[in-house]
Amino acid sequence: MTILSKTITAFGGILLAHACYSAQEHSALHSLRVATAASLTSSSTVANSLPIDVVIETIVATFIILLGLVLGTRPLRPIQWRVWAGKIEREGEDGFKDNNGEVNKDYMGNPFNFIESRPNFVDIRKQRKEFAEWVRTGGGGQSTR
Amino acid sequence: MAQVPVQTIHRDPQLFYWILFPITIVMILTGILRHYATVLMASAPKKLDQKTTREQRSLLHGMQVRSSFHALSKRSFNSRRDALITAYESGAYLKDPERKGQPPANPMTDPSSMEGMMGMMKNQMAMIIPNTLIMSWINAFFSGYVIMKLPFPLTIKFKSMLQAGVATKDMDPRWMSSISWYFLCIFGLQSVFNFILGNDNAASQMAQQMGQMGPQTAQMFGPGVDPNKQFLAEAENIAVVDHYSVLDGVEDRLLEGIRV
Amino acid sequence: MAPSLIRSPVQLPPAEALAISQQAPAILQSAPSAVSSSILSKEKSELWIEYENLILSCLRTGDERAAHQCLDRLVTRFGEDNERVLALRGLIKEAEAQNNGELEKVLKEYEEILSKNDSNIPIMKRRIALLRSMGRVSDAASALVQLLDFSPTDLEAWSELSDLYFSQGLYPQAIYAMEEVLVLAPNAWNVHARLGELQYMAATASGAGNGAYQKQMAEALKRFSRSIELCDDYLRGYYGLKLVTKRILKDSAKPTKQTDDGDFSLPDTRTIERLNELATAKLAEIIRHSSANDRGWRGYNAAEVAAARELLSEDASSDIKR
Repeated sequence: MTILSKTITAFGGILLAHACYSAQEHSALHSLRVATAASLTSSSTVANSLPIDVVIETIVATFIILLGLVLGTRPLRPIQWRVWAGKIEREGEDGFKDNNGEVNKDYMGNPFNFIESRPNFVDIRKQRKEFAEWVRTGGGGQSTR
Repeated sequence: MAQVPVQTIHRDPQLFYWILFPITIVMILTGILRHYATVLMASAPKKLDQKTTREQRSLLHGMQVRSSFHALSKRSFNSRRDALITAYESGAYLKDPERKGQPPANPMTDPSSMEGMMGMMKNQMAMIIPNTLIMSWINAFFSGYVIMKLPFPLTIKFKSMLQAGVATKDMDPRWMSSISWYFLCIFGLQSVFNFILGNDNAASQMAQQMGQMGPQTAQMFGPGVDPNKQFLAEAENIAVVDHYSVLDGVEDRLLEGIRV
Repeated sequence: MAPSLIRSPVQLPPAEALAISQQAPAILQSAPSAVSSSILSKEKSELWIEYENLILSCLRTGDERAAHQCLDRLVTRFGEDNERVLALRGLIKEAEAQNNGELEKVLKEYEEILSKNDSNIPIMKRRIALLRSMGRVSDAASALVQLLDFSPTDLEAWSELSDLYFSQGLYPQAIYAMEEVLVLAPNAWNVHARLGELQYMAATASGAGNGAYQKQMAEALKRFSRSIELCDDYLRGYYGLKLVTKRILKDSAKPTKQTDDGDFSLPDTRTIERLNELATAKLAEIIRHSSANDRGWRGYNAAEVAAARELLSEDASSDIKR
């Protein structure tokens, strides 16, 4: 998906650059012609009309770039509470990765988890004992909560 | 209509280097200076004693109960409602219950509220003083020249803004003087400051003005507000809540909504 | 992969805590030790949260040296007198204390700090946790109630109070405290599920009369339903729903007459059966996807899935017997 979107965006970019170049060339030629016609009064109305094909090319290029960018965005986030919450529960970190496989910075897990884990009330001595116990019983085997 | 011939003014290119750049650099540097001055002058948020915290949080608690009553069953809500209303009406949560009913102290004599006002004054000063200084500096040194031409056409209305200090009637409004460059800098350097100083910097005055507009919780517990009246109003609000619970018929909603 | 440091490490299983604390030297090295006040280096607020969490995990795995280093950095940034720094320092002392005498000394220090500043909430919380850890539960409860009296909007403290009462078997009080949490966070699906669990346990505990039993079962049922409504495919919610409906169906007690004093009453048997079927089907689906490790179903806790499987197999075997 990402390669496709990148190719489309790059193609659109080339098209747009070409359109710009055409427009520039056209206006340069046009102003040259006006200058040779030597009309001093109309010198401010240089290059008023671009050829229709350049205009069309510009518009088409814009839309192609848009298409490429839209294809390249990551999936939209759920906006319904229960869908969002369900995604957190069901997919865990997997559901919040971007295209590069990195977990989003603002992913917090269940934002209400702290209500039950209560980090400010942590009983550190009990945790240490449990950890020592876990090490003694050959930790790294299975982990239980 | 006859074409207006394009005005060309021959300027010394040195103007560009000796006016445009200095003004911009000075503006950026003052912005940074202002940021750090504000950080230094900022007084630490005032410690609230237990009584004040209790007063404020009890009120907040009442509001929470009122706004999320639907999460409770009717019985739990009613018991909370009764408890809160009696406590509010008897003034049990007030900082000093014996002063109940008296008018609030004059905020001018209350030292705690004076401090808040001083803080605001300091912020205002940090904004006004550098601006005045720079403006007079620009007016003294660079007034009266045209320094650049904007690359887009403008209507005549902009003339007074952009050509302040240049009293020429027929000049195209695209030409701008140094004082208008200064104004452009004031409004346009916002993102530069964001880039240099991070998002919540004190240099961007626009943000400060925005902050002043939205009255936040500070306003709610600000000086001159009678907490007893707030409590009584809240008691009334809680009393009129028409209770329903989200738990009513939740199983039917579940069976309707979820298909296996 | 070690879990993110931004989140609180308290509930992590030991293996992951170990992974985090093994990262500590690398993190301490990569971040600058002194706070530079130059314009170019931007301060990241996440860094300080990372340090706090690092302290927690390091203390848990017994790496006090790294914990002290993290604390030193927090001190250079926020100063000795910062409330949270004080609490963290106390936490380290608690962890290092060898015997009860030293714990008493830490407790004394907490009380001293509180006598100077009686609205220092982090220290109050540490003191309560320490009291509870030392087994002085009633002292902890009264201190907690005092904290909640002047700060009734503290979710964490209400939840701790609920847990404290629950550990003492005082279900009504535990339920009341949990409802306070719900008032402050009405959409927290795990709190709804927790309240459902509390109601269920209160109902099944001996000593509940028939009327109270039915009422509590009904509310447990509704709480679990609500938690599922707030969160699609919520394993804990479905597990609870299954448990409650199974129990109600087994009792097959006739619903008591409709009362209108604000209590919930059980829905009719048909609805309960359908809820039971729904929960069974959903649990089976979750177990199937989760054990196949399907994409998009990997967030569940393995232990919870195993428990659900057990519940379902129990159900199946009882079906065969019948």
